[in-house]
Amino acid sequence: MWQVTLAGDRALLITLGTSIDPALLGQVLALERALQDRRPSGLLGTMPAYASLLCHYDADVTDAARLGAAVRQLEGTVEAAIPSGPSVDIPTRYDGPDLPEVALKTDLTPAGVIEQHAHREYLVYCVGFAPGFTYCGALPDRLAVPRLASPRLRVPAGSIGIAGRQTGIYGVESPGGWNLIGRTDLHLFDPAADPPARFKPGDRLRFVPAS
Amino acid sequence: MIEIVDAGRWTTIQDRGRPGLERFGVPSGGAADWFAARVANELVGNRPDAALIECTASGPTLRLDIDRVVAVTGGRAVSAVDWQAVRVARASSLAIGTIGPGLRTYVAIRGGIDVQVVLGGRSFCQLGPFGGGFGRPLAAGDRLRIGEMVGHEPATAPWPPLHRLPQRGPWEVRAIAGPQTDAFAGDALERLSATACRVTPAIDRMGLRLDTPGLRLQSEEILTVPMTAGAIQVTPSGGFIVLHVDHQTSGGYPAIATVISADLPLLAQARPGDTVRFRIVDSTDAARAWRRISGWLEIDP
Repeated sequence: MWQVTLAGDRALLITLGTSIDPALLGQVLALERALQDRRPSGLLGTMPAYASLLCHYDADVTDAARLGAAVRQLEGTVEAAIPSGPSVDIPTRYDGPDLPEVALKTDLTPAGVIEQHAHREYLVYCVGFAPGFTYCGALPDRLAVPRLASPRLRVPAGSIGIAGRQTGIYGVESPGGWNLIGRTDLHLFDPAADPPARFKPGDRLRFVPAS
Repeated sequence: MIEIVDAGRWTTIQDRGRPGLERFGVPSGGAADWFAARVANELVGNRPDAALIECTASGPTLRLDIDRVVAVTGGRAVSAVDWQAVRVARASSLAIGTIGPGLRTYVAIRGGIDVQVVLGGRSFCQLGPFGGGFGRPLAAGDRLRIGEMVGHEPATAPWPPLHRLPQRGPWEVRAIAGPQTDAFAGDALERLSATACRVTPAIDRMGLRLDTPGLRLQSEEILTVPMTAGAIQVTPSGGFIVLHVDHQTSGGYPAIATVISADLPLLAQARPGDTVRFRIVDSTDAARAWRRISGWLEIDP
């Protein structure tokens, strides 16, 4: 059962589930496509993340009840598939400042952490937080470590971090609370490009250690 | 041209922002006090989407190389004539100086500020950073071109005091429950409403950290969800982070309630040490509050 909740007076949040699950992301993206096709009146834009979709609306044209009803009509009718976007290799230097601490917490050597993190295929579940920040999952259970107790004020662009069963790449310099294990020189955000973010939900990434 | 003689504390170019780019991690941004910014443009006869100058805590000193009508609104700028269109003569300077009560002051110049459009807007976005002409706050020596984003004649009368928002705390801020109210105990909203929250020094365009004396709401971290401006996030330590215009577009702390659009300008003017009380309202109240302010903006003063 989809949960439709108010997110202030200009947006609705549709929650389809609460877990990191390719099938749930598939449903979220299918719902988003269905809304783009039907264009309910007053819908301005959508933003997907993992198992939920935010719908911004023009309050001069529609309201939460009308838009919510339009979304509800789609429940059970959208055709979802496991997302299968392009697969991209991310050249990675595994020299992050938190690599030794992550190794201690996971009872692995730093090389063991790299072996667990690299070469497997991850799904992009969300581009959000800050410009170009790319959330991926799911990380092997073995690498699940909590966020830092106190976030860093500045994490450089291209930093690769892990937190819980998520791994992610910072698109721009920003504050951040994830454990930093590596870096890439790939540019994930360019305000002059169209689209400005390098990745989108449904894409697949592989971290490849740079020699 | 406008020359920045002195930059002030944190002075940026803002406009109505970049809605619709959240999917790339880009917040909607724009003037933190959208109402004061809109009035400033209205007073000088600009179109609502003209770019203007947002000043924080201590404003800049500007010099114009041409006679021009300007308007100063928002937080009280001690040394400026505010809430009315005034003519600044060529080669004379306009000093905004210390701001207070309130935190952010807007300076609109007839024609608007013509800096490069990036991702559909002229606003400076702190996360990136990009926009605002220089991809950074303004600095002494910067020169800004004046645009042609004129819609009508400048106003001849001051903006009516009855049609302004409060500029000083204690603040009563209205919020709608959700979207993650279910992550909290059943009495959490009542306890929230009964608490006098205190603004900490950790405030910027991304958000405001509030202390919640006597209130510690328990919640779990949640799966990452999209976030909007106004979301009242509850951190594991029990404090609040209220997201503002340059907010993170997704997050993992549950939001117990979301500030209504009509009251977001109040949070742009709140200063460290101020008291904030949240009042939970419904969508009908929010729509009424929006219509009230919109009505003021349709009146030509």
